[in-house]
Parts: sequence; C-alpha cells; structure tokens
Amino acid sequence: MAEHSRFLALLAVAVAAFALVPRLGGDYAIGVALNLLMWIALTQSWVVLSAMTGYVSLGHAVFFGAGAYAMVLCFGSLPFWLSVIVAGAATGLLALLVGYPCLRVRGPYFVILTFGLAELVKFVVINVEAALGQFGRLLFGGPGLAQIFYVVLVLAAVSVIVTWFVRRSRFGAGLRAIRENEEAAETLGIDVARYKVLAFALSAIVPGMVGAAMVLRTTYFEPLDLFNPITSFTIVSIAIIGGGDDVPGPVYGALFLVLMQELLWANWPEVYMILLGGLLVAFVLGVPDGIHGRVAAWRKARG
Amino acid sequence: MKKTIGTAFAATFAGAVALGGFAASAADPVKIGFSESKTGLFAQAATSQYQSYNLWREQMNAAGGLDVAGTKRKVEFVSYDDQSNPGKAVQIYEKLITDDKVDLLLAPWGTSLHLAIAGVIERYKFPVVGNTAASVQLRKLKAGNIWFPTSLFPDRQSDVLAALLKDRGVNTAALVTNQLPYTQENKSFVVPALKKAGIELVVNEDYPPNVKDLTAVLTKVKNAKPDAVLAYTYPADAVLYMNGAREVGLNQRVQVVLLGPQYDFFDKIFGAARNGILTMGHWTPARKDWPSARTFADAFKARWKTDPDFVDAPLAYVSVEILQQAVAKAGLDKDKLRATIAGTTFATINGPVRFEGVMNVALPTMISQIQGGTQHIVWPPKERTAEAIAKPAWK
Repeated sequence: MAEHSRFLALLAVAVAAFALVPRLGGDYAIGVALNLLMWIALTQSWVVLSAMTGYVSLGHAVFFGAGAYAMVLCFGSLPFWLSVIVAGAATGLLALLVGYPCLRVRGPYFVILTFGLAELVKFVVINVEAALGQFGRLLFGGPGLAQIFYVVLVLAAVSVIVTWFVRRSRFGAGLRAIRENEEAAETLGIDVARYKVLAFALSAIVPGMVGAAMVLRTTYFEPLDLFNPITSFTIVSIAIIGGGDDVPGPVYGALFLVLMQELLWANWPEVYMILLGGLLVAFVLGVPDGIHGRVAAWRKARG
Repeated sequence: MKKTIGTAFAATFAGAVALGGFAASAADPVKIGFSESKTGLFAQAATSQYQSYNLWREQMNAAGGLDVAGTKRKVEFVSYDDQSNPGKAVQIYEKLITDDKVDLLLAPWGTSLHLAIAGVIERYKFPVVGNTAASVQLRKLKAGNIWFPTSLFPDRQSDVLAALLKDRGVNTAALVTNQLPYTQENKSFVVPALKKAGIELVVNEDYPPNVKDLTAVLTKVKNAKPDAVLAYTYPADAVLYMNGAREVGLNQRVQVVLLGPQYDFFDKIFGAARNGILTMGHWTPARKDWPSARTFADAFKARWKTDPDFVDAPLAYVSVEILQQAVAKAGLDKDKLRATIAGTTFATINGPVRFEGVMNVALPTMISQIQGGTQHIVWPPKERTAEAIAKPAWK
C-alpha cells in the first residue's frame, strides 16, 4: 500500500511540474514536452500488451492513425474532448475486433501480423479518402497548442497509472504468466484468450486518443503520415532503450530518445539520423536490459 | 596633458567600439528558414528547389546583401531535413519560428508539405510565399499567410488540358493516378472536365504513392485502347510509368505525365524518350517576353552544372524574387510584409505576379511538352512557344 501511495505522490508531482510548462516555457518548450508526453503515453500502452505478455506489436501506429482518423471525422461536429473520447472508444473496439484472430498466432508471426494489419488499415483509409474525394485534410480552427498539451498530459498520466496497476494486479500476473509459458498459464486456470484480447484493447485506447489530439497539433491529416510505420518502430525502440515491463522503462526511454533527438537534430541536422542510428545500435548491444535495468542494478549494488 | 591624451584615447576607443557595434548590428544577417526534403519520397525532385534558393542567396550576398527596407543585409539560411514527412515539416516550421526565431521563411517542397505547414504559419501569422504547390482546398479556406505563384491549380489545369486534348482529336482517354493529395485533387477536376469536353474515360485507376510497379495497371490501359493516356504521377512513379509504358508498348500519340518529365534527372534517365510527352508547366526560357527567364536559366546552369527543371526551380526562384521585392519595400515586419505581398505586382522570371487570395492571377494556366530536350509551352495558343507534336513511338 505504501508503494502505491508513494507512486501516486510521485506521479502527482510530475504532472504538476509538466502542467507548469505552458505557463513558464515558450511554444518550442511546449512542443518538446508534448513530444515527450506523447511517446511516454504510446510506449506505456504498448508495454501493457507487449512487454507483459511477450506478444510484440509492430503495428501500434494503426491505433495512433485510427484515432487521428476518428478525430478527422468528428472534427467540426463534436467538441474537442468528446472527439478524443470517441477516438479512444473506436480504437479500443478496433482492437477487440482484430485482437481475437491476431492473438492466435505467436512469436514472429504475431509481429508480422501486427505490422501487416497496420499497413492494411493505412491503405484502406487511403482508398476511402480517395473515394470520398479528399486529398489531405486541413483541420483549421482547432484548439491551441497549450490545450492539446494538457490533454496529452492527462493521457500520459492515465497510461502510467494503467501500466502501474495492471503490473501489480492479478490480471498483470496472468499476463506475465502468459509471457513465461502460455500452456502452463492455461493449465493454471488463466483464461488466456480473454486476457490477451483485454490487454490488446487496453493497449489500444490511449494511443487512439493520443493520435486524435496530435493530429490537431499538425492541423493536417494525411494517412501516409499518421499511419507511418516509423511510429511503431519508435515505440519499440523506446521500450528497448528504457527496458523492463514496468512504468519507469518507457519514461527513461522516451526521455533519452526525445532529448537526444532534439539535441542532435538542432545541432547536427546533416548527420543526426546517422548518429541516432549508431546510438541505438550501441544501446542494444551494450545495454540490453535497458536504462531501467541498469538503474535497478545500480540501486541494488548500493543496497 | 597626460590625462588629456588618456581621455582622448579612451574617447576614441569608446567611439570605435560604438561604431563597430553599430556597424555589426546593421550588417547582422537576415536569417531565413525552411525545411528541405533531403531524404524520403520527394528527395529526388526537391533538389532543384534547394538549388534555386542557394543560387539566390549567393547572388544576394555577392551584391552586398538583401535590401531590407533600405539596409543591405547578408542572407543566412537555417534549414532542416523534413524526410518528405508532413509531420516533421510542421515541427520544423514550429521550431524555426519559435526557437530559431528566423526573420523570414521559405516554402518546403510540394503540395503535401505546403498543406501541412499552412496551419502552423496561420497560427503564428507568419507570411510565406509558396512555390512548388497549388491546392484548391487552401483557396477555399481563405488562408491569409500563404500564396501560390503557380497557375497549376487543379481546376483550371483540368479545363485547359481538356481543351488541348480535344484539339488533338482525342475521343477516349485512360487515367492512372497516384494517391497523393495534388494528383488526387487534379483527378477530381479532370474527370468532369473530360466529360464536359465529350472525351470518354475508359480506364480510371489509382495506385499508392510508394508503388513499385505499374505494369498491371498499364496493361489494363493498353487493352482499353484509348486515344490518350493521362498519368497523374509524382516524380518517383513517373519513372515507373515511362518504363512500364515502353515495356507494355503504350504507343498512344498523346501521353500526359503530370509530374516528372520536367526534371533534369528525368532527362538523364530517358533522354530523347521524353520527346512528345505532355506535362504541366508554365515556364520556359524560350519565352521572349520574359527576358530574365533566360538569365536565370544561364545562371542556374553556371552554378549547378545542370539545367534547371521547368517547374520547381523557376517557381522556387519566383518565390524568393517576390519575397526580395516585398522585403525591400516593407522590411521584416510580418503585418507590413503580408499586406505588401498581397497587394503588389511583382516582376519575376515567369512574368508579372499579382495575387488575389492565394492565387497568382497574372499568369494563365498552360500545358507544356518536351521537344528536343527542352520544354515548350504548347497550349493555350496565345501563350505557346511551339506547336504540340505527336509523341513518337517508343524505341
């Protein structure tokens, strides 16, 4: 219990600190902080499914994009916050629908399937947009940067809370049992299929809502951009850099990647992709248990 | 005495410092920001835009600097790679405005990225003269901080093209279209325009932007035996069209390739095979009434050892010419600059430019054709620099 209250206190402090950014910082600072929160929210959600069950999703961009598309369809007819909720409900439902067939395959097959699913949905949306006679949608007159920032801050906090409590619940223990040995988990009486589908849906809702909010930041919707596979790859990279199946991993990973990206991009625009790639390789080879693993080992050593 | 000398020395020193300080601030460079598509889907096509920007910067600096309402200041560029990604371009323009605090902005490459940054520059009320883009959408939204010097607006282009096809005796046509915004918008206007002109559309197919092979769809076109083929391409897939059309043997005398044949890289790949291809474009150094068009083409060739393309290089240069003339008049104040760009007639290498809304109303819409390694305007008749020819068979 003391662990929970300490966590909640820490989270409250972090949220309060972030809430000050729009008051103290300029638009550029808000932009960077917003990016950071976005990746934290996306990766925390991914952790609930992929780090806990071992079912690695390489298609989480599909929820980000589908959420954005839901926002596009609601834009102008529903208020901002309601559209974000609709987007979350829509992507949760999408995950429930596709989750059951998808989660019947394992290992590399599941990885490829999620990737393929994301590409499939992308091209469906491209074709629907073409059939509707839309050529890249402009979303003028939406909420300001600070308003989007607060929404994404709330979403990041929600994703952190979800990961924390799932990790420490019976449900979370079941998910990790599935990761270690799915047959054994089943013989222990865990409803494996239901658990996996629930985890899938749970990991889809926040990314959908984040996508809905972020498309209003760019004020422009083009399927190629919103369903960009790079989004999925970045989530997995952050999770690997951060390490572990708990809350700190994605936070460390996102902090590292976002700050590094800003630093390299601003100072060495010509070579930043090369440097970033090199850093990622170095990380995977040199620190396979991620920043979280290192910090935990260091703490243990200090007693 | 000693003291006087000391004082005089100090005074001189202070004066020198003050003068030096003043001179430094007057000569502070003007920071101009933009994003470049150095990598990704548009990289190949976007090069000439960057070359025009740099040619202009070097010309300005060689002449002592850019005239900012009477003061000459050197030009300095701040640019980042947007990876041909609209989301990235948005972040870059946000950064250029709020973090790098640039004095002026130039446009990114292509309609997608122009549409993407329209929201950011609207939010910060930062005027940007666009170049390699046109969209009916932005015209409808009445955006107030972006302008398009081109006359390649999809609706007008479609009407002009339909008239040319009719003149070439076309009764049936096949249309294949890339699913990117600009080509899709063109498609949505050309379909009714063809119908109005009495031209029957026998094939109408879309393909994804990162397509790797067009043979299947081109075989379908061949089997339909249309009089004309309209390939609404972006530069990368225009290469696929050319190869595919030759392979399956599309020997239509009228073939339109929307975006691709204008570029120098296309010339290097296909050479004489480009001859007779109809394409979009409203600029050619062959126009005698635009004398600076030839000057620009020569300067570009001298600097980059390659000819400018016929769309992006001149458009990029036109956009900086407009900015240059507006800044000479209005300085760097955003509101004055916006009013000046919106309300002045500019002299450019593409003739006079005058904006009404987001559009340049001084330049009629035209269709061009590759003839003998260069590009000529072939339609409408009063604008043309050469008669349209029938496309020779593939070799």
